[in-house]
Amino acid sequence: MNNSKKIVLIGHFGVGKSSLVRRYVQNTFTDNYMVTIGVHIVKKEIQLNQKSITLIIWDIEGKDDIKKVRASYLIGTSGFIYVVDPTRPQTYEHITSEINFITTQYPKAKYLTVANKSDLIEPEEIKRLFDSLQIKIDYFASAKSGDEVSSVFENLAQQLLDNV
Amino acid sequence: MNDSEKLQRLKELLLDEDRDFAQKILHKLESLDQTIQTPEKLSEKVNPIIDKKLDVFVEEIPTKLGPTIADALTKSQDKVVEALFPIIGKMIKKYIQQEINQLTEKINSQVQDTFSIQKWQRKIKAFFSGVSEQEIILSEINKAKLEQIFVIEKGSGLLIASASNSESIDEDMIAGMLTAIKSFVEDAFINGQQSLESIQYELSEIYIQNFTSYYIAVVISGELNTSVKNELENKLFDFAQKNPISETTTKEELSLQLKTLLANE
Repeated sequence: MNNSKKIVLIGHFGVGKSSLVRRYVQNTFTDNYMVTIGVHIVKKEIQLNQKSITLIIWDIEGKDDIKKVRASYLIGTSGFIYVVDPTRPQTYEHITSEINFITTQYPKAKYLTVANKSDLIEPEEIKRLFDSLQIKIDYFASAKSGDEVSSVFENLAQQLLDNV
Repeated sequence: MNDSEKLQRLKELLLDEDRDFAQKILHKLESLDQTIQTPEKLSEKVNPIIDKKLDVFVEEIPTKLGPTIADALTKSQDKVVEALFPIIGKMIKKYIQQEINQLTEKINSQVQDTFSIQKWQRKIKAFFSGVSEQEIILSEINKAKLEQIFVIEKGSGLLIASASNSESIDEDMIAGMLTAIKSFVEDAFINGQQSLESIQYELSEIYIQNFTSYYIAVVISGELNTSVKNELENKLFDFAQKNPISETTTKEELSLQLKTLLANE
């Protein structure tokens, strides 16, 4: 079988899922907010430690509850990226239960948690905020500046390659 | 100072003020005349006023003219149709004529090919099936043609293999989007219990054959009638039987098999 993997970005609307994908795949950013309807699928082929992997990235529309996401969009996913907006508490208040849902429903899938829009708050302040809430965030990224965006996808891709 | 000088002095005293006033008016008039006669100066003064009026006019068009136009169109539908009919009619007529000419040329070239094997095959087929030779020719002209085949993993929408007779956009993206559409339709309209079997668009159709862990999507141009559909189903079942998909199946070898399937079609 070929080495293509399905990656799905999940999170509330407006947290910057599409912006992260656009920054990673096209290296562009726009301030104009365009809501994703249904799903947008893009592809990126990368090389990691001389191994190639094709990421089929499903950027699905934002939902305030992961159970409201169409189950058929999540089936067969190898890696999830859970995105939150540190400036809007409602985007991470249920993160623990939602991550539990993912790990229960898709036990073989890998996942990473990402706080986007790190350009809006001092990184130390965001870390303190999530530490105080006992929420584990893997990456503090910014689709606007491009900071840590590639690291998110490459880390997940590496985990998927290691899992083969 | 003599009398005439006195009179002159008196005139100056009495009329100087009026003369100054008249002089000022004359200057004003000359300046206005110059403004009116010089287009650049005139437009400098008048343009801002016209622009402002135009802005107001544009703002008011939808509210003032919109209902009037809609009302006028509703009241005189017949007149509108009468005015547009010849133009649209001519366009449709021209298009149909062109299509008929192309069809006639194709039929003629097939009929005139008197000594071809196909002609005799057609005649025999017409004789035994009871279908006229013309109808057989028509069906041959719009014969279904397989353009692209995709083998796609169910759920993930990952492309397992593909083959194509024509250039298309990225096959991985097609596989993903097709799966998203299929999943959406199955969830939204057919309650997840049944499967989407085809997507039609103008002159082409995407025929979908579902298997346990994957599905095959075939892009077909031309007329996909029941007998062609049956034939296609049989071919896809044969293909699935001869090429079981497992973890060791490579994209390249399966794509090669699909290419053979397209070529033998």
